Amino acid sequence: MVNAADEYTGRLRWPRLGQDVAIVAWPSFLVASVATMVCFGFIDPALIGNDDYPPPAFENRMTGYAVGFFFFWLVAALSSLMTLYLVRTAHPEPTDEGTGDGTRSPE
Amino acid sequence: MNQATPEVDGELYAARQKIYPREIGGRFQQLRVYAVFALLGLYYVLPWIRWGERQAVLFDLPARKFHIFSLTLWPQDFYFLTWLLIIAALALFFFTALAGRLFCGYACPQTVWTETFVWIERWVEGSRLQQMKLAKAPWTIAKALRKGTKYFLWAVFALWTGFTFVGYFTPITELGHKLLTFSTGPWETFWVLFYGGATYVNAGFMREQVCKYMCPYARFQSAMFDNDTLIITYDEQRGEPRGARKKGADPKAKGLGDCVDCTLCVQVCPTRNDNSKGLQYECIACAACIDACDEVMEKVGYPKGLIRYDTQHGLEGKAKRVLRPRTLVYASLITVLLAGFAYSITHRNVVAIDVIRDRNALFRELPGGFIENVYNVKILNKDDAEHEFSITAAGLPGLQVDFGDDEVEVEPGGVQSVAVRLRVPRGELRGGSDIHFTIRTLDEPALEATGKARFLAPTN
Repeated sequence: MVNAADEYTGRLRWPRLGQDVAIVAWPSFLVASVATMVCFGFIDPALIGNDDYPPPAFENRMTGYAVGFFFFWLVAALSSLMTLYLVRTAHPEPTDEGTGDGTRSPE
Repeated sequence: MNQATPEVDGELYAARQKIYPREIGGRFQQLRVYAVFALLGLYYVLPWIRWGERQAVLFDLPARKFHIFSLTLWPQDFYFLTWLLIIAALALFFFTALAGRLFCGYACPQTVWTETFVWIERWVEGSRLQQMKLAKAPWTIAKALRKGTKYFLWAVFALWTGFTFVGYFTPITELGHKLLTFSTGPWETFWVLFYGGATYVNAGFMREQVCKYMCPYARFQSAMFDNDTLIITYDEQRGEPRGARKKGADPKAKGLGDCVDCTLCVQVCPTRNDNSKGLQYECIACAACIDACDEVMEKVGYPKGLIRYDTQHGLEGKAKRVLRPRTLVYASLITVLLAGFAYSITHRNVVAIDVIRDRNALFRELPGGFIENVYNVKILNKDDAEHEFSITAAGLPGLQVDFGDDEVEVEPGGVQSVAVRLRVPRGELRGGSDIHFTIRTLDEPALEATGKARFLAPTN
């Protein structure tokens, strides 16, 4: 256990809001990266909607990739956000020492 | 963790105190320095290497072609990438089962870039104590200058990182010219700033918080651990009970273990973790505590290794096993997949065909009792030499192929679209039939590829 020679007086972890933002943004970023790769491995953005009429959605492929990436990121982030919300607002699981009615006994 | 200041959950906005890990040398820290130089060296140098007329490693997204030295991969070769990712994941499992979080400590981009940012910080602001003093000091011009210099150097390094990243996707020499003349395209500018910005924030400010709150690997790595996995661990039996002592004093006479309770292992820890409480997911396996403890043990004249790489079995004095079902299964899977990958990438077909039916008409009835279908045949030549192709079709009696020529020339790395008319005598033909197109190079040995299509005829 550290006590002597320790000059930290404040908390060493992120505030809860910071953790929440990170938990939503980062996993969805990773998922979006993979989704972008797989999606555009099979689909050429220059060919999306390019059936003579209507005109191609993305004349510049780089725009197509970027729009795809941020779209996937947004969708995955929404899903992460909802999951986090459900986890954060649920009653805690009854623990072994718990009361079993959804409330946790004092630890 | 600090006992004097218990951490309260649920505080939404309380700012986090920055961790100033104590500087430490030693053999594992030396290894980590080598790893940083090797990995970042590779990252920053690779895009500048040339291969003939082009950049050796270029993921040409606008043209949808990946160049890796002599190899050119097309979207059709996408499964190679998937395959590689599976091999990489298995390798991660394998090394985790073998020696814990080697990846985190030595190879993870988060760790590696954080390390370089810490170096810059130390170079500008000095040692840990000097940094803490500076942070507490009132704002003066000298302080602003020092802090400003640090942020400036971080920003330059981060931008260079972003520039290099984009240099894997846009020829880097061109990109450099564009950057110097401020004429980079909108997406190039955006991704340089995006990747550079992410590096700046992740390595400069978020640091160990990324490992603690954002990294999924940190949480599931323990699933790959067993009692024979090398982990960084404190030898509790040897160390406890801990306590301060005079130099040369006999610990046994005082009833003490080998731990002198100097707390250096926690002070050098970049995540401020106390490993004497057992293995925790906050530990990124940087081995700084091993180096710190070894130094202390040497000073007080005890054998090194109170904190060391060891296995659970090793700590309990049991035999250590490297070869065990878990490692053997991972190793054989990796070997099989790697061999398969090497074989298929060297034996992959470098010509490919893509057949699309003409959309304007299902079929045409020609005088003389013939039915005609029109196709757009795309010939892909992924080889690095030019080839001439013949086009044939099979699947229906009396099939005639007409594309206005005898052969089609396709340049190296090129795609050629050819309008092909197929004619079949009407005869008994009703409805649709499957047919096959075959392209074949005229040189020896011939390269060929076959594509399926549908031939349509009137149903009555």
